[in-house]
Amino acid sequence: MRRSKPLAVVAGAALFALAACGGGGGTSSGGGGQSREFGAADEITKNADQAAPAAEIQGATKGGTITVELPGDPGPTDLDPTNGWSVTGNSIQQALTSRSLTQYAKNPDTGAMELVPDLATDLGTPNDDFTEWTFTIRDDATWENGETITPEEVAWGLCRSMDSTQFPSGPGTEYSQQYFFGAGDYKGPYTGKDPNCDKWGGVTVDGQDITIKMAKPFPDMDWWGAFMAMGPSPLGKASQPPDYGQNILSNGPYKVESFRSGEELVLVKNDQWNPESDPARHQYADKFIFKFNADQNKVDQVMLSDNTASQTTVSTQAGSNNYERINSELGDRLVQQSSQCTSFLAPDYQDISDINVRRALAWAYPYEDVWLASGEVPGVTRVPANSVMPPGMAGKHDYFADGEQFTYNPDRAKELLAKAGYANKPYPIKMIYYEVDPLAVAAQKQLVKGMEEAGFEINDIAVQDDPYNVWTNPDDKLNKTLNLRGVNWCSDWPSGLTMLPPLLRTGATYNTEQFSEKSIDDEMDKITGMPLEDQADAWGALDEKIGTEFFPIIPTAFRNDLFVFGSKVGNPGGDGAIGAPYYKGLYVSK
Amino acid sequence: MSAYAGPDTVGQSSEGPPSADHESERAKEIAGKSPMRIAFGRLARDKIAVVCAFVVLAFVLIAIFAGTICNIFNVSTETVLASQYLDVLGGGLPKPEYGPPNGGFTIEHPFGLAPRTANDNLAWWVFGCRTSLSIALLATIFASVTGVVLGLTAGFLGGMVDRIISFVTDLFLTIPFLLAALTLAPIVSERFRESPNYPQIQFYNLIMVLAVFGWMPIARLIRGEVLSLREREFIMSARVLGMPTGRILLRELLPNLAAPIVVTISLMLPAFVSAEATLAFLGIGVTESPSWGQTINLAVDFFEIYPLYLYEPLLGVVLLVLSLNLLGDAVRDALDPKTRR
Repeated sequence: MRRSKPLAVVAGAALFALAACGGGGGTSSGGGGQSREFGAADEITKNADQAAPAAEIQGATKGGTITVELPGDPGPTDLDPTNGWSVTGNSIQQALTSRSLTQYAKNPDTGAMELVPDLATDLGTPNDDFTEWTFTIRDDATWENGETITPEEVAWGLCRSMDSTQFPSGPGTEYSQQYFFGAGDYKGPYTGKDPNCDKWGGVTVDGQDITIKMAKPFPDMDWWGAFMAMGPSPLGKASQPPDYGQNILSNGPYKVESFRSGEELVLVKNDQWNPESDPARHQYADKFIFKFNADQNKVDQVMLSDNTASQTTVSTQAGSNNYERINSELGDRLVQQSSQCTSFLAPDYQDISDINVRRALAWAYPYEDVWLASGEVPGVTRVPANSVMPPGMAGKHDYFADGEQFTYNPDRAKELLAKAGYANKPYPIKMIYYEVDPLAVAAQKQLVKGMEEAGFEINDIAVQDDPYNVWTNPDDKLNKTLNLRGVNWCSDWPSGLTMLPPLLRTGATYNTEQFSEKSIDDEMDKITGMPLEDQADAWGALDEKIGTEFFPIIPTAFRNDLFVFGSKVGNPGGDGAIGAPYYKGLYVSK
Repeated sequence: MSAYAGPDTVGQSSEGPPSADHESERAKEIAGKSPMRIAFGRLARDKIAVVCAFVVLAFVLIAIFAGTICNIFNVSTETVLASQYLDVLGGGLPKPEYGPPNGGFTIEHPFGLAPRTANDNLAWWVFGCRTSLSIALLATIFASVTGVVLGLTAGFLGGMVDRIISFVTDLFLTIPFLLAALTLAPIVSERFRESPNYPQIQFYNLIMVLAVFGWMPIARLIRGEVLSLREREFIMSARVLGMPTGRILLRELLPNLAAPIVVTISLMLPAFVSAEATLAFLGIGVTESPSWGQTINLAVDFFEIYPLYLYEPLLGVVLLVLSLNLLGDAVRDALDPKTRR
């Protein structure tokens, strides 16, 4: 999953900051402020037996309106479940309006996230080599218009996800079109002029059972099923894009009252939702109001004021300038959530072909300085990264690509550059930065300063557009001349499968470093065919192998989010599976 | 038409007050002064104008000697690695030993440090002053030269030329300035982003945007003045004598337009200073060099915990714009013959 904020290149990390600045830093926070340190996320487990209805949350009461402020986040452009791949859109809709095969639930005892059934009665049954998955669809789940959700509608939803032309930003482009039967050949119901999905043999319906055929072994279908794209859509014309995206038919506990892209999404109770059919969702609040693109400073002030309106408000981000005050005044209502994301610098694999130069880059990046300038809180919202896989992901190896954790160390960078033959001349780097955001400009200046002291010469080009538009466009003239790019990547589910292949497979869209090694590509294919229990370790080992042998991509930071909850929002907490507030469990306390 | 040149013209044609009493000493003094000298005398007696003139002069000196001032205080606008100066967990504010808001002022950084980046506020302030004044000055020069030339031509030649120029003027007046600036700046930036002179191009681009959307009022004003002046006897006689058009424009008309031009320019300057700050605040001004508007934009977030950071650039903009405006008003009063006593 891609992070919407285009701050990729300027995002770095520094846990050493905590140690280094502990003495002189002067933690002047008074009162109940807690010092936060980065705790690795809990591992997400599977719980196929969780039954509907969901257990009541202790002390939860019904009624009230919850307002969610999303500072600096434009939100989704449409609500079509098939098109939802952003953290924001998917986290809101999957929790409240659009059900899918499986879902995540928070275990009330441990607080850890679990994968539990949703529209399916269990987590699916694969065949021996994971080339066929069978899910049994519940017969008691309904749409907002009262009609029962049929297996045919689920099959139709899956078929839609094959259409990468109609849904270019949907997750199906990466997973359905990679693993489902007909991947690469079948263009989808809209682009392929197949309005009833007759020409695709990927899904067969038998009574309440649907069987999904794979093009190659896909052991993670149960995790992939937790995306709202793996849910039902009304048959035929009723779900015709792009109209359906503005006017979706809900099947979760809430339905859409109004939606203005980039501004506001209002959800109200869906009285047709049957709690007996849902193992994880609740329907406590009467209404949810999501406000996109809010002003960060304004939201911080609203949250700090603790007035009647802000008591029932949730903010999905806290400004670094107000962090200290929020931390000391709000205490537990400031929730730090690992977002299962890693930020990277991506040196061009062909242009910067010497591994010593790539390692030198990692020592030359002024992690903490870049962060401060880009408005992060080092050690809290950003911590140093060592691997591609984020903390909390099963199988992650705690290796160091160059002996120890990378920190800003210009001398070491210069030594490595000398080995690469750049002892007396600076190594030329050409990169872009996002000029529209003053924080990105300030961070870029820090980066240039730090890198130039470490023996690089930076030619940085200001762009007015999302840098991803340049980095991911192979035909872009400017992009062809760059030798340093970046990418932020969040796992789609806790498996190396969602981190390594999208970033390191030859030709993958977000492989902005253009890394290409046949042996690694083969190994990735091999791992998906391995027994399930061995895969996590295999991904971790591959991560380490790539990092130590090739080091094509420089992990600069693991990312954390800060959520602020109003004093009357019950059950405040984050959703560790997706990096958002846990909307499913929120209520307004009296 | 009366023989008396009328109160609204100055220059060769006016023959001085006809009712002057040649016997009195005082009258002799008055008779010996040129209109410009009278205006200067009145300006010098206006206390507010004098104070404002000194303030403006001070800003001009700061802008000219920005580098020297930074050297005296041993500060610079160069980027420093932020983490050594800032409190990492304290919202990115400067550590107490480097100045406000958590510590006292220090001689190393008299205006304190900026949060998040640890830029020196004094250095950024004086260079921001230079950016502000040079952009405003150059934009004023371009806008007023364009405006005066077009206004003179339209007013004097009349006919088709007048109609075309007036149409263009009206056309430009209908384009909303902010919208145009917001659209143009990214286009120009995108075109020249790979040039090694990108910062300079950005700087001149801003001047161009300000000038292109700033010349219309002065063109209209001059055209109106010329329309009324060109029917006057001294112009007619110049024509009858066979003076070339260019000479009439430069030697006969322009001197009579000095007053309105000076007044417009003196009010245009502060308008451009604030326009520059506004654009920088909106993120489309100069991003490569220090600018007050840009600092204000960054400082808004910190107003509650580090107000000084916001007050410094604000003080600069407010003081400069206010003094330029008051000075402009005083110049207008001084040059206005109707207020002559």
